[in-house]
Amino acid sequence: MAIEPADIRRIVTPAAPVTRETMRADIAKMLHEDPEEIGGGDSLIDLGLDSMRAMNLVLLWSEGGLDLEFAHFAENPTLDGWWALVDARQRARPPLQGG
Amino acid sequence: MSEAGAQPPPEAHPLTEAQSGLWYAQRLDPSNPLFNTGQSIALTGPFDRDAFEAALAQAVAEADALALRMIDAPAGPVQVLDPAQRPVLEVIDVSRAGDPMAAAQAEIARDMARPIDPTREKLAAERLFVLGPQRHVWQQRIHHLAIDGYGMILLTQRVAELYNAHRRASDPGAPLPGMAAAFAEDAAYRASGKRATDGAYWRELFADRPEVAGLAAGAPVSAPRFHRRAVEIDAATFARVRGSAERTAIPWPDVVTALAAAYVGRHTGTPEVVVGVPFMARLGSAAARVPAMLMNVLPLRVAMPERGGIDDYLGAVAKSLTRARRHGRYRSEQLRRDLRLVGGQRRLHGPLINLLPFDETPRFEGLESRLDVLSTGPVEDITFTFRLHGTDGLRLEVDANPDLYSAEEVAAHAARLAQFLAAASAAETLDDVPTATPEEARRHLFELNATDHAVPDTTLAALIETRMREVPHAPALRFAGEEMDYATLDARSRALAERLVAAGESGIVAVALPRSLELVVALVAVLRAGLAYLPLDLAQPDARLARILASAQPRHVLARAEDTHRFDGKVEVLAPGDWPVVPTGAGIDGPAPEDAAYVIYTSGSTGEPKGVVIGHRAIVNRVEWMRAHYGFTPADRILQKTPASFDVSVWEFFLPLMAGACLVIAPPEAHRDPVALARIIAEEGITTAHFVPSMLAAFLAEPAARGLALTRVFCSGEELPADLRDRFHRTLRAELHNLYGPTEAAVDVSYWPAGPEDRSRPVPIGFPVWNTRLYVLDEMDRPQPPGVPGHLFLGGVQLAQGYLGRPDLTRERFRPDPFRPGERIYATGDLALWRPDGAVVFLGRSDHQVKIRGLRIELGEIEAAVMASGRVRQAAILAREDGGTTRIVAYVVAEPGAELAALKAEVAARVPDYMVPAAFVRLDALPVNANGKLDRGALPAPDFAGRGGRLPATPGERRVAALFAEQLKLDAPVAAEDDFFSLGGDSLGAVALLLRVREAFGRDPGLGALFAQPTVEGFARLLDAEAPAEDLGLAPLITLLEGGPDLPPLFVLHPAGGISWCYGRLARALVPRRTVYGVQAPALAPGIAPPASLEQLAAEYVERIRAVRPHGPYHLLGWSVGGILAQAMAVRLAEIGAEVGVVAMLDSYPCDVWRGEPDPGEDGALKALLAIAGHDPDRLPALALTRPSVLAFLRASDSPLGQLPDAALDGVVRVVAGNNRLVRGHFHRRYEGPVLHFRAALDHAGRDLSPAQWRPYAGSVEVTDISALHAHLTGPEAVQVIAPVLARALESVEQREEAACATAV
Repeated sequence: MAIEPADIRRIVTPAAPVTRETMRADIAKMLHEDPEEIGGGDSLIDLGLDSMRAMNLVLLWSEGGLDLEFAHFAENPTLDGWWALVDARQRARPPLQGG
Repeated sequence: MSEAGAQPPPEAHPLTEAQSGLWYAQRLDPSNPLFNTGQSIALTGPFDRDAFEAALAQAVAEADALALRMIDAPAGPVQVLDPAQRPVLEVIDVSRAGDPMAAAQAEIARDMARPIDPTREKLAAERLFVLGPQRHVWQQRIHHLAIDGYGMILLTQRVAELYNAHRRASDPGAPLPGMAAAFAEDAAYRASGKRATDGAYWRELFADRPEVAGLAAGAPVSAPRFHRRAVEIDAATFARVRGSAERTAIPWPDVVTALAAAYVGRHTGTPEVVVGVPFMARLGSAAARVPAMLMNVLPLRVAMPERGGIDDYLGAVAKSLTRARRHGRYRSEQLRRDLRLVGGQRRLHGPLINLLPFDETPRFEGLESRLDVLSTGPVEDITFTFRLHGTDGLRLEVDANPDLYSAEEVAAHAARLAQFLAAASAAETLDDVPTATPEEARRHLFELNATDHAVPDTTLAALIETRMREVPHAPALRFAGEEMDYATLDARSRALAERLVAAGESGIVAVALPRSLELVVALVAVLRAGLAYLPLDLAQPDARLARILASAQPRHVLARAEDTHRFDGKVEVLAPGDWPVVPTGAGIDGPAPEDAAYVIYTSGSTGEPKGVVIGHRAIVNRVEWMRAHYGFTPADRILQKTPASFDVSVWEFFLPLMAGACLVIAPPEAHRDPVALARIIAEEGITTAHFVPSMLAAFLAEPAARGLALTRVFCSGEELPADLRDRFHRTLRAELHNLYGPTEAAVDVSYWPAGPEDRSRPVPIGFPVWNTRLYVLDEMDRPQPPGVPGHLFLGGVQLAQGYLGRPDLTRERFRPDPFRPGERIYATGDLALWRPDGAVVFLGRSDHQVKIRGLRIELGEIEAAVMASGRVRQAAILAREDGGTTRIVAYVVAEPGAELAALKAEVAARVPDYMVPAAFVRLDALPVNANGKLDRGALPAPDFAGRGGRLPATPGERRVAALFAEQLKLDAPVAAEDDFFSLGGDSLGAVALLLRVREAFGRDPGLGALFAQPTVEGFARLLDAEAPAEDLGLAPLITLLEGGPDLPPLFVLHPAGGISWCYGRLARALVPRRTVYGVQAPALAPGIAPPASLEQLAAEYVERIRAVRPHGPYHLLGWSVGGILAQAMAVRLAEIGAEVGVVAMLDSYPCDVWRGEPDPGEDGALKALLAIAGHDPDRLPALALTRPSVLAFLRASDSPLGQLPDAALDGVVRVVAGNNRLVRGHFHRRYEGPVLHFRAALDHAGRDLSPAQWRPYAGSVEVTDISALHAHLTGPEAVQVIAPVLARALESVEQREEAACATAV
C-alpha cells in the first residue's frame, strides 16, 4: 500500500515515548508547580489547569505522532485519567516504519 | 443501533443557558442566516462512497443534537429529540458542470445564505457534492442552537473515524455521547453554588463598568453576512511566539491573545480594552465529547502595557485568562443581564479573539482533505481567529460586520495585525512596535504631505505695494457707502508708515480700531513700516487688556481718541485724526520675509493670554495658496466681517489687496446680525465671505438669506457639521469650503471642498495646503493607521515663530519634527484621524480647551479668574454639552462664609464676555474618583432653571417658556421669573430665539426688547399685548419642533389619547431638522362635540394642516390610531388633488382586525393614558384602574400630563373612548401610494396582526421591523432606528419632487 499523505506527517517527527513521569513534569511546568505536587487522582482543574493549557499539553504529547483527541482528555482531567488515555494509544500504535 | 421500534413520547427539555441567548437573538433577527454554522471539506483521492455514507449515517444517529426540534411554547421555548429531524445525506452531482468546483461553491454559498426557522425546519443538513470520480466536497450546515465550533469538530472527526474503521474493518471506537449528558450538566450547573460564585466573580470584576469599544463606531448587531480576509502568519513569527511561550511558560495561544489585545488597544486608544474570548466550556465536563452548543464568550479585561517589558504584560494577561476560564461556565448573556448591558449599543466586550490551537482537518485514509470553515455564527463586531494547520502553520482569519467595516478595512486589519505580531514577537517592549504598517506610515507621513510648492520669498507689504501701483484707480475698500481706491490707500498707508518709523517705533504697534476704512489703512501702514501689528479688541475687560499690553509692550497704539482712557497712559495713542495723509517721501526699509507680520493673543491655559508671532514668510504662503487655489481675481468682492483680533481676519484684509480685488468692510457689530449680513451680501454683490459654523447656522435660518448667491463661502474656527453643509446647499448658491488651522500656523493649514455632492460625515478638514504637513500620531509619536484617532501635529513653512516672550511655552508646543530632521512641528492639542482616502478628520480637543463660536477658550484662564476672586477654595470649569449646546459651567467650593452673588461680575471683569461661565454651581466638595481625579461624570448638570418658583401661568408665558426651553435645550421646567440670559442664553441664542418667536407669534419685537424684558413673564407680557390667548399644549395643532423654512414639515397624528406630545423625541431625532406639527384631537377640550366618523375627523384634519401649509407634499405619520388617521388623510388629500409625501405608520393595523374585539372600555382608556405618560401599564399591576387612582398616580409622577387640569385629563379619557368607537366603525378606502410601516417586532405574540393586512388599502406596504414593544415605539431606542429610515424616505420623496420640477422646467 502506498504511503498516504496523512501518514507522512506522523513519520517525519518521531519522538521519545511519553511516560507518566514526563506527563507529570509537563503538567507541573504548565502550572508553575513542583511535579510532586501533582497527585494521580487530583483534579487538574482544581490545581489551576485551564482549557488552553490542557490543550497545549495534548498538543505537546501528540507531537511524536500519537493521535490524541482533546475531548477525551477533557472528560476526566486527572493525571491518572490522562495517562490511561496516552498509554492505551501508545500500546495500540503500530510500530514505526523506516522513513 | 436501530431506529425502529416504539419510540417513547418525546421528552421536552428547556433550552440550556447556552442555547437561550442564541434563541432570543435569532427571534429578534429571524432572517439572519448567520445563525447557521457551516463548513465544507474538499476530499481528493479514491473515495469510498459506501463507507462514507455508512459513517455519516452512523455519526448522525449518534449525534443527538442533530435530532433536536425547537418548539416555541407559550411558557417559553422547549426542545425535543425527534428522529425525523436527523439530516439525511443529500448527494448532488455537479460533475457535468463546466467548473464543478465553482458550481459546488456557488450552491454552498446559496445554501449558507438562507436563514432557517428553527421551529419549522431541520436544524442540520449534510450534503455531498460529486465533482468527479476522485473529487468530492462534503458540506455540513448546522444551526448554532444545535452545535458549536468544537462540536462540529467532534462530529467531523467521528465521521472520519467511522470511515477509516469501515475501510480497515477495525474497531470504530466509542460512540459520541448523547444530549442527556449536556442537559444534565446544564441543569446541575444552574442549580449549583458554583454558578452563584462564578456570577459574583464576574459582577465584581465588572462593577466599575469599564468603557468598552470596538474598532469601528456603530451598533454591534450582526448583519446577515460578514467580510472575511485570511492571511498566513509567517513561520518565523510563529516560531518567535512559541519561543516567548517557552520562555514565559505561558501557552502560546495565550501569548497570541495578549498581543492581539494590545493591537486592539492601539486602535481604541483606551488605557484598557475588553475583548471577547471564546471558551469551549468542556474541560472537566461530562458533556466534553457531546456535539452540542456549549461554548461561551468570556469578557477579558486587558490593561494596556505601560512602558514595561513584554513578558510582564504577557504574564498579566495569561493570569487574567486563567481566572476567567475558572469562572467560564457562567454565561455572558446572563452577565449582560446582571450588568444591564442588554440592547442598543451597550456592550460587554469589544472584538473577539479566537484561538484554535489544533488542526481541525479530519483525516480520511487515502484522501487528502482541505477544510473551509464557512460560518461560526453571527459576527457582531470583528473577530480575529487564529487557526493552527499542519503542525506549525498559523492562519489569521478576520471576520467583520459589514455594517461597521468595509472590505478594505478588514483587509487592512488582517495585514496590520500580522505585521504587529511579527514586530511584537521580536520586541523586548511593546513601545518599540509600530501600529501602522510600513506602507501606511510612508503614505501618511510622506506621500500625503508631498506639498512642496514654490512661493516667492517676499512679504505681505511688498505684494500689496505691487498691486497698489498696478491698479491705482480700482476700488480697494468700501465701508458704509464710502469707497477708497488703491492710490489713496497707498498714499495714506505710506504716510502713516513714515510717521511710525519717524517715531522710532521698531517692534510691535497695537491697533485698537473698530471696523472702518482707517482700520485697514492702519494695518497696511504697520506692515509697510516693517513692524508687526497687534490687534486689540476693546470689548475685553481692562484687566485682560492690561495683561496683553504688559506682555507685548507696544509703544504706540492706533486707536480712536475717545478710547484713549482705555490705555491709561501706558501706551501712546495715535488717533486717526492725527495721522498724516500725504507721504513725505522719506525712505522706509519695509520688512524682510523673516520679520514678524502680526501678533495675535489667544487664550492661555495657565490663565495668561499668549501672543502668537507670525512671520511674513508664513502668512505669504497661506494667502498666496488661497489666491491661487480658489482663483481669486480683481473682480472679487470680499466681505470683511471677522474681528481683527481673530486670525481669520488676516486673509480677509490682505487677500483682496494682493489680488487687486475690492474689500467690503461690514459695519461694526454686523457680524452678529444675520439680517444685516444678508443685506450687505446682496447689496454689495459680495463674492466671498467667511462664517464660523455656528454663525452660519444662524445666518441660514434667516429667511432673508434664502437664495443668496456668492462665488464661495469659507468656514473655519469650529467643526462644520455635515447637516449644516447640506442645509447650506439647500439655502444658498455658493461653493462651500471647510478650512482648518490654529493661530499658531498662519490661519489655516488644511482645506476640504464641502460641495453639494460631498456626502462625508463628519466633514473632513481635508488635505494640507502648500508647503505644509499634517501628522496624526499616537502618545509615543508613532504615525496612526487610517481610521485611528491620534494627536494632530502640523509642520511646514506656516508655523509661528513662537509665543512672544515665552521661550518655555514655545519649546513645549513647537518640537523637533521626528520624521524630518531639522524641522519643527506644532502640537495642536486637537484629535484627528486619517480617512482611508488620506483626508484628515477633526475629532475634538484632546485637552480641556474648548471653542465656543470659533473662539478658543482655555478653561484654565477662567479658572484663574474664578480663583482670583478670593471667594472660592476650589473650582472646576467645564464646557458642558447639553442637548447640542456647549456652555461653560463653573463648579465652585466656596470659602467658608463667602458670598458668591458677585462672583459672576468679578469673573466678567477679568475675561472676555464669551468666556464668562453661563452658570456657577456651588458644591460642598468636588467629586473625585478612585484615583483622586475630578470625576466629571459626577458633576450635576447646572440647574439653569433653579431660580424661579412660579410656573408659567398664561398661555403666552407657557409658550415663551417652551421657546426658551427649546432654544436652550433645557430639561428642567422654565419658571415665569427665569431670565433668558441667566438660563444660559447668549447673544447668538437670542437671535435664534427671536426667529422662533417670529415664526410662532408672527411678530418680531427685536433684540432690544428681549434685552429689556429677558424674563418669561416680561417677554410674554410684551407679546401678549397684541396676542389672543390660547392653550398651547392641548391646541388642535401644536409645533413640536421648528425647522428651517426650506423643508416641507412633517405632520404627526395623535394616537388613541388624542395628544401628540409623544412624538417630540422622534421630531428632534430627524436629520436634517424639519418642522414637525402635532395634530391633536379637538375633543380634548370640553364641550366640543365628538366627531361622527373617522372619515369626518380625517377630513377635518386635512383642512387644518392645509391652513398652515397650503401646498404639498404633506408628510403624515401616526402611531397606532394615528396611523389609521394618516391613511384616511392620505386618501382625502389625494381625493382633493393635493400632493401626499410620506405616509408612515408606527405599528398600526387596519380597523378590520379591531372590529371583532370587544371595546376596551374605560380600563383601556386609562391604560392608554398611562402609556401616553410614558409608563407601561402592564408593569403597574398594583395600580387600580380607576380614574381617581390613575390621575393621582400621574400627578405624583414627573410626567407633564400630571400638570394638566382635571378637565383636560378627563378630555383624554373621553378621546380614548371615542377613538375606540371611531375605529370600530371605520371602513378603509384604498390609498394608491406607498405606506411605510414600522412594526413593533417584539410585540403581538400569538395575535394575528401583520402589516400585510394593509395591502388591500395601500399601493404598497414597506415594513421595517423595530425590536421594541408597541408601547415603546416613541422611546429613545426605537426612535434611534426609526428616525434614519423615516428621514431617508422623506428625503427620497423630496428629491423626486425636485427632479420632477427640474424636468418640468
